[in-house]
Amino acid sequence: MASKSEWEKLDLTIDPDTDEKLFFSDHEWDTIEAAAARIIPTDQDPGAREARVIVFIDRYLSGITYHYATADGSGFLQLAGAEAGAARARTSEFQRMYREGVRALDAEAVRHAAETFVSADEAIQDAVLVMISGSPKPNRVRLDEHEVFYSRLQGNSDTGKSFFDTLALHVRQGFYSDPVYGGNKDQIGWKVIGFPGPKSLKDTVDGTYTTAPFFVQEYDWHDLLLTYDPPHSDN
Amino acid sequence: MVKKNDPVDVVIVGLGAGGGPAAKVLSEAGYSVVGFDKGPWLRGPEHYSGDELKFQNRSYLWPDVDLMPRTVRRDETTEGRIFNFSPVPSAVGGGTTHMAGWTPRPRPSDFIMHSRHGNLEGASLADWPYRYEHLEPYLTKVEWSYGISGLDGAEVGAGFRSKRYPSGPLGPTKFGEKFYEGCRKLGINAMPLPMSHLTERNELGRKAVNRTSFWNQYGDPTETRSTVATTYIPEALATGNFEVRADSFVKEVVVDRNGKATGVVYIAPDGSEREQEARVVILALGAIESSRLMLMSKSARFPDGLANDSGLVGKNATFHEYLFAVGLFDRELSPALNGFTGNYQSGGSMHFYETDYDRGHIGGGIIATTQIGQPINPILPGKPVWGGAAKDADRDYFLHSMKIGMILQDLPQETNRVDLDPTVKDRWGMPVARITNRPHANDTAMSKWQIDKNVEILEAAGAVRTMPVYLGAEFTGNACHQHGTVRMGTDVTKSVLNEWAQAHSVDNLFVVDGSGFATALGVNPTLTIMAHSWRAADYIANTYLKGRSERLVLDPITATK
Repeated sequence: MASKSEWEKLDLTIDPDTDEKLFFSDHEWDTIEAAAARIIPTDQDPGAREARVIVFIDRYLSGITYHYATADGSGFLQLAGAEAGAARARTSEFQRMYREGVRALDAEAVRHAAETFVSADEAIQDAVLVMISGSPKPNRVRLDEHEVFYSRLQGNSDTGKSFFDTLALHVRQGFYSDPVYGGNKDQIGWKVIGFPGPKSLKDTVDGTYTTAPFFVQEYDWHDLLLTYDPPHSDN
Repeated sequence: MVKKNDPVDVVIVGLGAGGGPAAKVLSEAGYSVVGFDKGPWLRGPEHYSGDELKFQNRSYLWPDVDLMPRTVRRDETTEGRIFNFSPVPSAVGGGTTHMAGWTPRPRPSDFIMHSRHGNLEGASLADWPYRYEHLEPYLTKVEWSYGISGLDGAEVGAGFRSKRYPSGPLGPTKFGEKFYEGCRKLGINAMPLPMSHLTERNELGRKAVNRTSFWNQYGDPTETRSTVATTYIPEALATGNFEVRADSFVKEVVVDRNGKATGVVYIAPDGSEREQEARVVILALGAIESSRLMLMSKSARFPDGLANDSGLVGKNATFHEYLFAVGLFDRELSPALNGFTGNYQSGGSMHFYETDYDRGHIGGGIIATTQIGQPINPILPGKPVWGGAAKDADRDYFLHSMKIGMILQDLPQETNRVDLDPTVKDRWGMPVARITNRPHANDTAMSKWQIDKNVEILEAAGAVRTMPVYLGAEFTGNACHQHGTVRMGTDVTKSVLNEWAQAHSVDNLFVVDGSGFATALGVNPTLTIMAHSWRAADYIANTYLKGRSERLVLDPITATK
């Protein structure tokens, strides 16, 4: 049945430790993994490499099988109907973009006197990413700066972006999304920033997971609000 | 051959905030009702979860922009570009399935913007053909049937209310507490925002709201959020008089030689084209799609689109815009603010709602402190996208930032409009909605003034750095609110609908979503849409379908300017 309400459930899970490649070649896998490790580097805390972001991206690009986890996280939804067609078209575009992107990373590495992107040292890899992104390496957010911004659409779809912006977004997604998608292994990404996420998607479905302890526990509206005049009678 | 179904009393197109109450009221009144939605009928625990990637990044609920695109342009001279403008879930329940659920009441002043402010250059201000007091009983009905929580006695300057809230609010988040602190220091009246969910001691006997905090733009697997799909749709079905036809795209409202609507033509889930006849046709697709369907429904009697004698269908569109300021706190000096918590918002204010000419603009909007978000998509304007700086930004500010947003009340302008894109088609081969818009000077001034005020509140609350996000050169539709395209009024040359949301020129056609709103309100529209729909449905059930008609006579307004 084509309706989104009746998409079938595929009993599949992703092992974050797998080396089995569903989309990338060995070289593409190594290259994207190396680039991901510069986008979210390993320092005193784990980065994209330890979170297995590469597995996340490989599965996403492999087709449309791993696009949507089932609500309880026990498998994936088999897209059908028009939505499947649209997703397939977008996926082929991503596949093409990544294949070309890997070639561009290598070509730029060669211009920096390295043999390939993977074999280049981190400084050269960063220089390559600067060239590919078209912008300087980002500076740290500081508390003593002032900048103004203008509104944008909420929501963060990955279409219509350059290869670099797509890669950076996918790396971020792989680092922070629910571990069912193959990245964020052992919730590494969440631990780095202090997000007390759910043990599993299932816990968000049945309400087991709660953020109530992270709210203010003791409060009195009379103290919080400037003006508060509760009604005395039932009306 | 188009296959015809058996005729029914009422067809409702669109089963969100507009269609839901009408379905309930009319089926409970004993009429046979068929409701269409182009999206699927998704069910809480089966389809929804706290999956940030699925809901926020992979648009599980929002319309697929490649299948149901819209185009947008700044003015008549620029070309439209494909953009997911003002996306609302394509699903039974519509926007109520994903919305954060701010459900504040409008104020009496919202209904008389023209009487208050006259003809403002470049804007097409108009009074509504009814007033707050006419809607108040329905606001109360919705609060007590849909399930809204709020803190009675906290909103200074509120309009009259006939009954208290059925539930108290959630307690404050850590960032909510900071917001209240900032407001108190600056002498600003703040309050917990009325919300479409209930807490432990609610008087409706329903389960308290889930506390996962996966909320804005997520469906609720626990079904404890008040939505049309968990309240009015099941109530309508329980009468035995209502049928839901999901995954069914209505492409035309059919009219007879005299210009009376006879029903709709739709594409069924199997791809076949069918016709459904009805005595009354109700449109509730949201202001963009309702006006689009009317423009697509051309006939000998209405060559420019259904009920479009005035030429106003699609015009005077208003969209709100969600604008905000972010405050960063020093993690060495401040406790965690936990911006991932709360059912999106925690604390708001209508202190700046009413016109104060000293501010340099008319009108105003509600403000509220809201979640920063979950780990993939936290709101931090200008955030570095890669390298150690990106990782530091998450480590330093994911738990130590907050944001105060506003709903911008944009003024109606005839040139801000919806029409049919001349080239882009949707998955059914029909022309998509093209949105033309540019802000009025008053919109830009309101944005600047209010966001600067939000910055002041953040600073009073202890933010070390603030980041204002103002309205730019175009609306982005990021509030997912839509109104005004099928304007209500008393003058048939200056409006399309009357005070019952009934078309002036097609007496069995009603448009009960935000399309009729003559002005945009400074609050989120959903509560008002539901009450407005209920009021229109009451009229249909008890007056129109009984073969009668009525007019509402309004008292003159005494100047208060």
